[in-house]
Amino acid sequence: MTAALDIKGLAKTYGDNVAVDHVHLTVPQGSFYGLVGQNGAGKTTTLSMAVGLLRPDAGTASIFGADVWADPAKAKQLVGVLPDGMALPERLTGREMLTYLGLLRGLSKDVVAERAGELLSVLELDGAEKTLVIEYSTGMRKKIGLATALLHAPRLLVLDEPFEAVDPVSAATIKGILREFVAGGGSIVLSSHVMALVEQLCDHVGVIDKGRVAAAGTLDEVRGAATLEDRFVELVGAATTATKGLSWL
Amino acid sequence: MTLVQMKVAILRHAIKGPQGATMSSAGVLGALLAAGTIYLAFLGGDWLAAAYAVWMLGWIIGPVFSGGDETLRPEFFAPLGLRQHRLAAGLLASAFVGVAPVVSLVALGGLVVAGAREGVVGALVALPAMVLQLAVFVLLSKVTVGLLGVALGSRVGAIGAGVINGVILAFLGQSWVFAVAFGQGGQIPEFVRYLPSGWGLLAVRGDYLALAAMAVLVVLLLAAWAALLARRTGRDRPSTRGRRPMRPATARQAVVAKELRTWTRDLVRNHLLTFALAYGVFFAGTPLVVGIPDMLPLAGPVFIAMAAAMTANSYGTDGTAHWLTLMTPGASDARGRQLAWLVTVGPVGVVVTVAFTMITGGPWPVILAVTPALLGGGAGLVLLVSVYGLVPGIDPRNRGGNPLRTSEDDGTQTGMAYLMLLLVACAAAPAMTAALLFGWWGVPVGVVTGVLWYWWFGLLAERRLTTKGPELLQLMRTGRRPGSGTSAFAMPKMSKPREAVVMVCVTLGAIPLIPQGVVAMVMTAEGQLRHSWFLATYMPPGLRWPTAVVMMLVGLAMYVTGFRLWHQAKKQAAHKAQEA
Repeated sequence: MTAALDIKGLAKTYGDNVAVDHVHLTVPQGSFYGLVGQNGAGKTTTLSMAVGLLRPDAGTASIFGADVWADPAKAKQLVGVLPDGMALPERLTGREMLTYLGLLRGLSKDVVAERAGELLSVLELDGAEKTLVIEYSTGMRKKIGLATALLHAPRLLVLDEPFEAVDPVSAATIKGILREFVAGGGSIVLSSHVMALVEQLCDHVGVIDKGRVAAAGTLDEVRGAATLEDRFVELVGAATTATKGLSWL
Repeated sequence: MTLVQMKVAILRHAIKGPQGATMSSAGVLGALLAAGTIYLAFLGGDWLAAAYAVWMLGWIIGPVFSGGDETLRPEFFAPLGLRQHRLAAGLLASAFVGVAPVVSLVALGGLVVAGAREGVVGALVALPAMVLQLAVFVLLSKVTVGLLGVALGSRVGAIGAGVINGVILAFLGQSWVFAVAFGQGGQIPEFVRYLPSGWGLLAVRGDYLALAAMAVLVVLLLAAWAALLARRTGRDRPSTRGRRPMRPATARQAVVAKELRTWTRDLVRNHLLTFALAYGVFFAGTPLVVGIPDMLPLAGPVFIAMAAAMTANSYGTDGTAHWLTLMTPGASDARGRQLAWLVTVGPVGVVVTVAFTMITGGPWPVILAVTPALLGGGAGLVLLVSVYGLVPGIDPRNRGGNPLRTSEDDGTQTGMAYLMLLLVACAAAPAMTAALLFGWWGVPVGVVTGVLWYWWFGLLAERRLTTKGPELLQLMRTGRRPGSGTSAFAMPKMSKPREAVVMVCVTLGAIPLIPQGVVAMVMTAEGQLRHSWFLATYMPPGLRWPTAVVMMLVGLAMYVTGFRLWHQAKKQAAHKAQEA
């Protein structure tokens, strides 16, 4: 079976700084894949290259067999993306933005209207019908971002830090939607540095450290007998810093 | 005091960086102006007062375009819980650190000269007068930025501020009119002496009340600024609400709908368009003061060109929202934006053009030829310049309390606006030439070139977006151009004298080329002689055309020299980068 996302040797260097060093990752169809790593480990850079938002120095990425760089139209039709910290069309309301994007994706007017209404109500954004996106809170931005990713019924979701700065209630809503998406046959890749969350949601894990894959496989393969957090600390070798106290406290 | 140290540290880093070149060239230019001002102090009369009035105007208007000195943003200090007036005092102290204040202080040294002419007491009074006068300048500047920030929080304010800025700038551009109106030169109107900028001079000439008045003004301005800072750091800006449902049915219509909503809802865009309109109308209307209606038909074309210049960084101002365009290939984003620009600027431009030309009753062929060429050129170039020379903007939600500051690199953005004016003028040149030579035949030429620019520039922009889309996003995300290091418009490294030559050539080349060359030719052709400051129209008959041609050649030569030196330096820099 073709992988939902197949990353082969992606690499990116900024000046002397190797951000991503020939990463190989395979996300099987129907899996819920968690990508973990410290801040600056290269998660965002890898995912950006995998979906076609950043041109890699080397390597390829394909979504259900469609090469992201050689056949972008097909690949991008199959994927929904939620990048971290990017702007949106800020002067539109949530519904207007979904309408705009749905039409850009080539959906018909009626389909867009129906899906936008459903997404807004499921994500509990329909109360803010007259609010422009620029005035949204961080949690609302994540939710509307997720809505834009889901709108065109993709088969793969690539989510960069979807739970960062999201309140627990919204997080529960998002988790529910994501689980349902996987149950319905979809595949998800999400990046996070919250181990507990990845352990709770995902069935596959990839650990990225200093631009390389430190471990990858099913959740049980990677964590073994330990918790994911212990295993992660062991892999990235940062055990010593946790025991250093602060001298004035 | 800590704030002062912070600013000194930031400036020290800046001097080492790429901004250092800009700062030192600004410093040199400022020093020359300051020296000129001090020289005026030896002349006596009201010259010095007039010069200080210009300095004050510079302090007030400068930040309107550059977004003001934001090295230390008030928001940085919001969590510290400082009392408002302490924060204002601290920021004021730090505002005195920098190139502009030092240069202004040197210029205010003219007060010492003026004082010394009165006697020892005058010279002594000059010292506190200098400091107070500088405080007045700096505070006026800060209060202007603050007021604009408040104004741009509401639609009425944004539009009002746009009108005021447009009027001021149009008056400056047409200052010859006022020179003529206020009694044929040589005489400086008396009121200049009593402007706040002249109070220092009044003080050193023995009117000590002016010293006290300045102190009171400083206290008042400080209080006003503190109040404005309080609003800014605790800001909660209301904005327009979406009311109309979105009705488009295709991808391109959707882009147009999104853009039009952004045009009407983004107060900064409201402000820029109003500015362009006010500038066009007042630029064309000002000569009426001295009874010259001939410039009225220019209102529409000037508005269109100015609107293009103000909106050139279309993709840059939207920031990283560009990722959505990348994820939806084939959705013709560039074409949609072109159409939206045309819908926004076109109708107003056409109405203004037709209405103002009807007042003077012509010259119809030229105006009707130029307008479509400008509109098509504008709608094409706005996109083209934005993708080829993208100046990375600040994402709209991260802009802080100063909404005019849409980019960290406002020097480059200003350069882009000037370049855009020049390019749009070039786009209209064929139509204008045809209309001047063949009358009504110019109109079809204008329409055809307009359509051509619209189609061709849009096509180029769209191709560039397809091939370089990810690089553009990368640039917006990091503010750095992948590979080559700096933006196409940023100054490459070169020696100081060379840099000065480039600056002078590029900034002043337009004067001989356009007004003294092209416009003077038009006037000569139409037999309008002894016209304001167009040199060629004052020449004896045999020399009129040669003068205008020489002027054009001088202007062109200045541009060629400037750009060649620039290009050479860039090549050298690129070469060095490759070797390293």
